[in-house]
Amino acid sequence: MNSLQIKNLNHQYALPQGELKVLDQVQLTVQPGEFVSIVGASGCGKSTLLRLIGGLETPTAGQILLGDQLIQAPGLDRGMVFQEPRLFPWLTVEENISFGCRANTSESEKQKLVHSHIQLVGLLGFEKAYPHQLSGGMQQRTAIARALVSQPQVLLLDEPFGALDALTRIQMQQEILKIWQAEKITVILVTHDIDEAVYLGDRVLVMSNRPGTFQKTVPAALARPRDRNSVEFSKIKKEIYDEFFNKTV
Amino acid sequence: MTLKPSSKLSWFLPLLIPVVLLVLWQIASDTGCLKPSILPSPFVIAATLLELLKSGELFKNLEVSLVRVLEGFLMGASLGLLVGFAMGLSKRMEGALSLITGLLRPIPTIAWIPALILWLGIGESSKVTVIAVGSFWPVLLSAIQGVRGTDPKYLEVARVLEKDSYTRIFKVVIPSALPSIFTGLRVAMGIAWASVVGAELIAASSGIGFMIMYAREVSQPDVMLVGVLAIGLTGLLIDFLLLQLQKRLLKWSVTA
Repeated sequence: MNSLQIKNLNHQYALPQGELKVLDQVQLTVQPGEFVSIVGASGCGKSTLLRLIGGLETPTAGQILLGDQLIQAPGLDRGMVFQEPRLFPWLTVEENISFGCRANTSESEKQKLVHSHIQLVGLLGFEKAYPHQLSGGMQQRTAIARALVSQPQVLLLDEPFGALDALTRIQMQQEILKIWQAEKITVILVTHDIDEAVYLGDRVLVMSNRPGTFQKTVPAALARPRDRNSVEFSKIKKEIYDEFFNKTV
Repeated sequence: MTLKPSSKLSWFLPLLIPVVLLVLWQIASDTGCLKPSILPSPFVIAATLLELLKSGELFKNLEVSLVRVLEGFLMGASLGLLVGFAMGLSKRMEGALSLITGLLRPIPTIAWIPALILWLGIGESSKVTVIAVGSFWPVLLSAIQGVRGTDPKYLEVARVLEKDSYTRIFKVVIPSALPSIFTGLRVAMGIAWASVVGAELIAASSGIGFMIMYAREVSQPDVMLVGVLAIGLTGLLIDFLLLQLQKRLLKWSVTA
């Protein structure tokens, strides 16, 4: 297991009216097995940061390292789950998950991996179902299994539960914790939901608005499973909330 | 089995207008408003249909035309798929072919018949080629559109999962293009069926188009109209079969 390091990361988009600075001097070190939440308003650049870690875009300046490996392209050492499940509608649940396997995996090995990941995300019995036959939560479970089946070191979650209803969202949050603990994997979660960030993260990074940079790190050192209604939980939430709305400078 | 009123109605509704028209037609014939030499009555046409079915003449001619359609359709559609995928996948290929396809596409299929007879003679090959030309275009366009229409989000998933271009094309791009391609195939089949009749009307000694033309020459309007009717029914049947095939192959596609 390797740690993930982001050093002096800058990113900008070229627009007709000039350069748009999206990320400014982002620094971050994530320990192996850590669960980090990043909260920010929409458009603050948090999704861009995740796409850069995923290798889907190349940073304007700065470096992202996984261990001593410089990230320049997408790779199976980093699993990614998007806000939409992005399942292929022409493949069944098991075929979609199998699509995530590494190219050199043998058929029998694939079968085993797919089966164990279907079990991991709690979709036993739905192997042969097509995505349009599943609920939103089940589709997202399939997408998580697809991202994990290649056994990545880091799981990148880009507002994965944002499109789900409130009850399913809470269920999925508990589910992702279970998966994180079972797989002992590093997780970076991007969200705009403060409650979610505190419930899941070992620490919560608050991202400022455009250009995005980490304006504060809030440790969430609460014992798990966490009680969302506890005083400590609310205190941490308030601290983050104040960063956004009641800042007294 | 119990039928809901709505499903009873859905069977009844498409039949209503044809039946009313047939009844009016028969009345007009019986009262002498329609001359039998111009438009025979529905009963006369039905009797001729039975006769042609019994003698096997109708099926013989239909079979000849259907074989031509299948041969031409297979040729035209596979070529359309091939060129369509190439143009959809490669900008360079599209650039190289866009002018020539743009120029040739607006030419109606029937306009090729005289030229094809000149080049290929009046045998089977000219007719099959006409059909191939007719079925080529809709398949080409639907393949290009289908390939281009692949959701970039799916392509991004393939990138994240480090898929090679073979997997990307055969597991992502082509499956996602299939619904569009099927629409193209159905349109192409319709055009193929229409062009065989066109080709046979101009030069043929067998086939359903020939049967119609010959009946006109020997003043048998009932045979002529049976032929026309048979074209419509066969076309309907072919489209129905293609639709069933699409529903089976693309059961994942909710809109199919």
